[in-house]
Amino acid sequence: MSRIKDLQKNLFGGTTSNARQFGMIFTLVAIVLLFQIWTDGLTLTSGNLIAVVSQYSYILILAIGMLMVIVAGHIDLSVGSVAAFTGIVVAKAMQEFSLPWPVGILLGLAVGALIGAWQGFWVAYVGVPAFIVTLAGMLLFRGGNQYIGNADTVPVSEGFRTIGAGFLPEVGPDTGYNNLTLLLGLAACAGVIWRELKSRQTRREMNADVAPMWISVLRMAVMVGVIVFATLRFAGGRVGTSLPISGIILIVLVLAYSHYTRNTIGGRHIYAVGGNSRAAELSGVKLRRVNFLVMMNMSVLAALAGMIFVARSSASGPQDGLSWELDAIAAVFIGGAAVSGGLGTISGSIVGGLVMALLNNGLQLEGVGSDMVQIIKGLVLLLAVAFDVYNKSQGRFSIIGSLMRPFRRDDPPPPTDRPSPASDAGKAPVAG
Amino acid sequence: MRKYLTRSVALIGAVALLTLSACFSEREGAPAAGASGSAAPAKGFAADALIGVALPSKTSENWVLAGDLFTNGLKEAGFTSDVQYAGASTTVADQQAQISAMVTKGAKVIVIGATDAAQLTTQVKQAKEAGAVVIAYDRLITNTPDVDYYIAFDNFKVGQLQGQALLDGMKAKKPEGPWTVELFSGSPDDNNSGVFFNGAMDVLKPAIDSGDVVVGSGQTDIKQTAIQGWKAENAQSRMDSLLTSTYNGDKKLDGVLSPNDTLARAIITSVKGAGKDIPVVTGQDSEVESVKSIMAGEQYSTINKDTRKLVAETIGMVKSLQAGTEPTINDKDSYDNGQKVVPAYLLPPVIVTKDNAAESYANDPKLAPLTQG
Repeated sequence: MSRIKDLQKNLFGGTTSNARQFGMIFTLVAIVLLFQIWTDGLTLTSGNLIAVVSQYSYILILAIGMLMVIVAGHIDLSVGSVAAFTGIVVAKAMQEFSLPWPVGILLGLAVGALIGAWQGFWVAYVGVPAFIVTLAGMLLFRGGNQYIGNADTVPVSEGFRTIGAGFLPEVGPDTGYNNLTLLLGLAACAGVIWRELKSRQTRREMNADVAPMWISVLRMAVMVGVIVFATLRFAGGRVGTSLPISGIILIVLVLAYSHYTRNTIGGRHIYAVGGNSRAAELSGVKLRRVNFLVMMNMSVLAALAGMIFVARSSASGPQDGLSWELDAIAAVFIGGAAVSGGLGTISGSIVGGLVMALLNNGLQLEGVGSDMVQIIKGLVLLLAVAFDVYNKSQGRFSIIGSLMRPFRRDDPPPPTDRPSPASDAGKAPVAG
Repeated sequence: MRKYLTRSVALIGAVALLTLSACFSEREGAPAAGASGSAAPAKGFAADALIGVALPSKTSENWVLAGDLFTNGLKEAGFTSDVQYAGASTTVADQQAQISAMVTKGAKVIVIGATDAAQLTTQVKQAKEAGAVVIAYDRLITNTPDVDYYIAFDNFKVGQLQGQALLDGMKAKKPEGPWTVELFSGSPDDNNSGVFFNGAMDVLKPAIDSGDVVVGSGQTDIKQTAIQGWKAENAQSRMDSLLTSTYNGDKKLDGVLSPNDTLARAIITSVKGAGKDIPVVTGQDSEVESVKSIMAGEQYSTINKDTRKLVAETIGMVKSLQAGTEPTINDKDSYDNGQKVVPAYLLPPVIVTKDNAAESYANDPKLAPLTQG
């Protein structure tokens, strides 16, 4: 057992927090393989992967913000309405005042920030539960969307559409692939390798255990392999297609927010507040400010997601954003966040969101009706969480738990991972 | 150490590059997997090819019926069909994803009954680039140059028939003019509302100009006659106020132009409530309640747009595309979606009054029994 544990630690845990994500990804891989076989290989075609990314990028962007909200112990039900409201405001503004589209995007982000400040104010400074504030927001901004848009569909300009439906341009020699996507892939490979080697170096300098070289090589090989495969798929679609722009926005956000939540004091404060707000406050965490920023951040991301959807649909309509909040919340919980707050990671939520996205896509490729798709998604959400809860309460080995252990903060921390003592104080009470 | 680091990065980067280039030959064919239909669609395609049908959510029985008819009809014609409804809560996003999935599966023709006609630009473009033919079913897809055909009932004709029915009905009740009427039109955000109204005015205008028909309230502009959201309660309250403002004495109202059955029934309810004689009221859609009302002698007319015929014509269109021939088009210049004029095939609607109801609904299992006796 201990040898297996050693291996597990070496492969998934232990060295870098980056490598921990392998665990949850197994679930995703299983779903991909299942549908890959079931749909006769359609799932992993370039065209389909590109479609999936552009279809679900806005949900995944919402999941990033939602994870932080849920970790802080709140919930946000208003994201769909906020997205729809922002969408119609931006579309109308661009139509009526002929704003150039980059200004439109800035306007949208500003609207998101304003709405976020409004909701953050009620949650953090007045102390109304976020559930109520955002339930009110859901009605408020849905109504606002219909009031401004007159329940009408408002088209947006060609330029604006790039953020939702755009692709990287075709430049350079004709390699049979989209060259810019290839370059991005190469950069990603280099980044992964650099990180791995860097972390070995750090551990060596700190006199910590260093995993055997072959483990590192294996890990790098797997990651590089996946990246190369994905790059080729995204670069090898129809001429004119590539990794979608919305996918690039998503990746940038994931990297930035992962870093923020994992490696910065501000990010750790969110976990501290969610784990035990009282203890966090006594340790000097500015409770109100954290709550305010988390709610505000969510609305800004919702605004961005709304604009991406409008861009992809080429018009803002009265039905935008319906039940997005539920998709985002489901992604976060499938990704291993705790309902009580304090636990969960960005990457886990993204993987959770991808599980839902690929499930949806695979079932649609199979021609399963949307009624059945909803039933299946509902069951998957329930079972994924229930199975784990049951196993944990029985004190038995929990498959999902062990898969997701890398995402949880309750295992003994590697030394590099706890930058602030405050987060420790907040964490301790929720462990186990 | 740093040197070791950089060198490793460079080394593995090079390996990755090699892997990339090694894959070239193998991957050359891959794009075709997503776009296997890139052969020109006009040349026809396999007789058992996949035909995608994306319909709005199952909220109206008309769409449910259309879906069943498509599933069976395409199967009988030898095609593989994939008929999808958008989910009830996430209609637009669902339909977008469904169309993308159909493209991925290599559908040769995609028939779309749009949930939001202006929000499918990206998907329709994707379909077009993959070589699929896009047919807009019942609702014209706007905001895109990538729609190939439009098939629907002739809505202008619907309006004309309603106008004519109104005149005929009033003449039958009161042989000599002038007749007093009120006009109603559909929701201002629905493209079709204006088409219906203009069709009706095409017939009524000459009569109004000659003084045979008088609009009692003087409200003849579509902005004044519009009923927001096609809502019955809005039609009822407008009729209520018209009755109070214009028909409070013994002034008689002879007819009301109503664009559809729901509004027609609301208008009749209002008139009954005011204790007035029921005027000649037109309608559209052959709703069950209205067919009953017509048989009871209250509502004067409705329009029958037979979903069976529309689906059959659409499948006919798919068949001629399969054979590589140009499908039948009877309107090349009326349907401009903002980016292009979409060639359309328009089916003639049928006016139904008490006289021809039995005959018109003979093939409709739900309505036929209502017309007996």
